[in-house]
Formats: sequence, structure tokens, C-alpha cells
Amino acid sequence: MEKWRLLLRGSKNAFSNMALDEAIIRILPQNTISFYGWEPSAVSIGYFQSMEEEVDTEACKRYGIDCVRRVTGGGAVYHDSQGEITYSIIVPEEHEKIPKSILESYKVLCGGIVDGLRILGLNAEFKPVNDIVVNGKKISGNAHTRRIKRILQHGTILCDVNPSLMFSVLKVPDEKIRDKMIKTVEERVTSIKKELGSVDKNKVVDALITGFENVLGVELVEGSITEEELLLAEELKKCKYGTKEWNFKR
Amino acid sequence: MELKNGILSANLKVQGGKLLKCKLELEKDIIRKIKITGDFFMHPEEKIEDLEKVLIGIKFDNNEIRKVLLDFYSGDVLVIGADAEDFVTLIMSAK
Repeated sequence: MEKWRLLLRGSKNAFSNMALDEAIIRILPQNTISFYGWEPSAVSIGYFQSMEEEVDTEACKRYGIDCVRRVTGGGAVYHDSQGEITYSIIVPEEHEKIPKSILESYKVLCGGIVDGLRILGLNAEFKPVNDIVVNGKKISGNAHTRRIKRILQHGTILCDVNPSLMFSVLKVPDEKIRDKMIKTVEERVTSIKKELGSVDKNKVVDALITGFENVLGVELVEGSITEEELLLAEELKKCKYGTKEWNFKR
Repeated sequence: MELKNGILSANLKVQGGKLLKCKLELEKDIIRKIKITGDFFMHPEEKIEDLEKVLIGIKFDNNEIRKVLLDFYSGDVLVIGADAEDFVTLIMSAK
């Protein structure tokens, strides 16, 4: 059975997380699935978003929350240091398990998460284009990019969600509807803790690993980041993800 | 018809899709500057800059803008969350 590298990257700051994803896609010594967290809590915006439009950067400074722009499209995401697990899948475009179509790829790769969540006992389903829902409520968002003939798909799995904290850092179009938006989140978003009553992040990661193995037909073997990847990530953090020029580009 | 000048902006929530935003600068009804943002996906991502470039110098007119967008969408690009008509509606609704 084909072996892929599993990286349990622990929790790092937003700039390091994004830099590492890019370093891995550039060097790619092996097909890789990573799991990581965000410490401190952070907001990431999509490639096509404007930081100033989406994020209350003053509030983020006050709370010590990092703000970073992703290479992938999609929306503004609040990554809670305690409440969330992020994964990334990095593999060549040509891999037999990866559909040519990006829309189809979302379905296949998200399938690993869906399988993992079902192992935990959740009624999880893929909702096109790029969401995973449990009982109709969003539990995972995903984003995909293809560069230098390689794929990066990353996404979040909500273990525990705090809507009021989320909306204190994301900009709302109208102050008057902040409460309505908090209520909307509570109605449209869920978390593993909310569905199961409790959450054990280690168990979640184990289930997701099995889910990916089942759906992709591969064996995930725990490995480490190479020296080359680490060095490139440091450089990318300094010259790209840690810079105002990148994060405030649009 | 009065020629438009100044900085305009618009937001558009696409039915079953994403949220689009734009800010544009008009001078005598011609687009001088435009920035398009939102939570959509575009592949390859750099094409957004091509789209913004190709809209510069275009008349702030439904048909002219539609021509540009249809041409853009017929090229080597995949947009998820909005179609050509959505961008036309977005831009033309700017005030």
C-alpha cells in the first residue's frame, strides 16, 4: 500500500502555519497530510479578500490574535487555539486518486474528513462546494489551490466554537446586525463538542487519519519536516506571510 | 446621460454562492481603477489581477462590461461561487 507522510505539526502561529504549508508544497519530499493548530488564535482571510474589509485589526491587536492571508480563496476564518484542528493535504496533481476537476477533488479529499467524523459517531456529509456538515450545520470549511502542478487543500474541523469571540474580530457590515449574526452562526455552525457533548482532540485526529487512509487507500506514516522545508518556511515567514505587503495586498 | 465620476463600491451576495465586493474609480464614465474582493475561488488565483487590468479603460456600461466578463470567463480560468453575469451585476450596481 502506498505510504504518505503524516505530520503532526503541533500549534504554531499563523505565519508559520501558512509558511510551512507553502514550503511543503514547494519541496514535497513525500505526499503529505498534516494536522496542526493555531497558537495564538488567529484569523485567516482568503486570497481574494481585503484584510481591512474583513477583519477588525485593532481588536486583533488588543486580543493578541494574528491575522494572515492565505494562498487559497474562500472566506475569513477564525482559528481558535483551543477549538479547532486544521489539516492540509499536499500531493502532486497527477496522483491517480486526485480528480482532474477541482470541484471533484473537494469531494474526494473532504471524503476523508467525512469518514473520520463518522468514525466518531457524527452524522457527517459533504456539502458542495467545500463544506462538511453535521445534521445540516457546518462543521468544516475547506480551500484548495493548485500551483506548480501540485495540490494544497487545507481546512478546519470545529471542535468547539465561540461565536461572540469570532465576531469581535471579524468585521460585520452593520453593527446593528452583530447579534443577529451571532445567532445565525449558532444556527448554521456546529462543533464536535456541541454534537457529542465533549471532544478529545487526539481522538479526533486519530479518526481523521483513519478516514483519510480509508478514502485514499494509503497508509499514513508519521514523519518529520525536513531541514530543507524548515529553512524555506522560515524564509517564507519572513519575506511573505509575516509581511504587511502580503497580508494587506488586496 | 450624465457621465459618472468618483469612487463607487458595491457588495453582491450571489444566490447559493459567495459574497462579491468591488471598489472602483470612474472618470467620465470610464473605469480608471477597480478592485474586486470576496470569498470566491478563482483558479489560477493570479487571474484576478488580469480581470482587474482588463476592466481598466472600459466604459461603465452593462454591455461593455458584460463583453469583458464573458471574454474573461471563456479563457483558461475556473471561478467557483460566481458567474460572469454576477460580476456584471456587481460592477453595475456600484454607487
